[in-house]
Amino acid sequence: MFVYTLPTRHRPLLRAGNPISGDHFRRKCGLSAKPRNIYFCRHHFSQIPSSQRFTLSPMAAGSNDSEDTDDMFDDLFKKYGKVVFRSNDQKSSSSEVDDDAESLSFAVALAKVASDVKAAELRVLFVKPLVYWTRFFIIATAFSRPQIDAIRSKMRDLAEAQYGRTASGDSKPNSWTLLDFGDVVVHIFLPQQRAFYNLEEFYGNATPIELPFENQRFGG
Amino acid sequence: MIQPQTYLNVADNSGARKLMCIRIIGASNRRYAHIGDVIVAVIKEALPNMSLEKSEVVRAVIVRTSKELKRDSGMIIRYDDNAAVVIDQEGNPKGTRIFGAIPRELRQLNFTKIVSLAPEVL
Repeated sequence: MFVYTLPTRHRPLLRAGNPISGDHFRRKCGLSAKPRNIYFCRHHFSQIPSSQRFTLSPMAAGSNDSEDTDDMFDDLFKKYGKVVFRSNDQKSSSSEVDDDAESLSFAVALAKVASDVKAAELRVLFVKPLVYWTRFFIIATAFSRPQIDAIRSKMRDLAEAQYGRTASGDSKPNSWTLLDFGDVVVHIFLPQQRAFYNLEEFYGNATPIELPFENQRFGG
Repeated sequence: MIQPQTYLNVADNSGARKLMCIRIIGASNRRYAHIGDVIVAVIKEALPNMSLEKSEVVRAVIVRTSKELKRDSGMIIRYDDNAAVVIDQEGNPKGTRIFGAIPRELRQLNFTKIVSLAPEVL
């Protein structure tokens, strides 16, 4: 198999002025939780009228008629396509949901630890619909490097003791410290870096997760 | 296959436009650098009024190469250009956004920050 890309033809996760919903984005990027199938409709391509063939260019994904293109692809597949290969490594939807729930409990536990060490502006984002390589982002602000180190070591300890996971990522406290637990990725920023990189805006379409202890803090 | 004197595009919004590799970091006598390697580069072209200027020496991570990248699955990825992302000494990207598709191998090489800023991961 040969994957060949043009670097300039990329789709931003968030376009200013024209935000796309998570569901729509998923459809566009093909990053859905749907089973990954390879569709085959090449032999019938010549039957498509030339006006429609024009809209099949990759740039069409970023243009205004992208919704029409999605629908057109669906129609075309219904009409001509058939599944010729289905990979065996897909999980059933129920086990996916179980994995999501497990990751969520892990992410919330990590966020609780961060909150105990006084991390500010904690955000837990469900980014699975947007990127395939992880499920949850935890974004936190710390106000000094010793505090970053404290959050980092507490999170590592908890993950190892209770969940048996180890993190890759930064080995020293950094102005942007990242801990990668596989399905949960933790970003700890200093306030200046948080504003500079503005990850929340970049992942603006991700679903924020409500943290129970955050409400208690503000409520009390 | 990036070696000293190779020109690379910049795949971020740091302000640099073109880099020239002057050294590969990590090995004393290596001839070529590939995706995920850190290089020392000099900025050959830069946008005006940005933090980085022409003829500045920076570190950069290679994120795309015209030379094929092979995976164990048999998949081969080849990009149209050679491109790099400018980083600082701590490994944080100097820009705030990455442009274009980048390969997932960068995550295994501990460049998850770059992966999390990228719009598309192959």
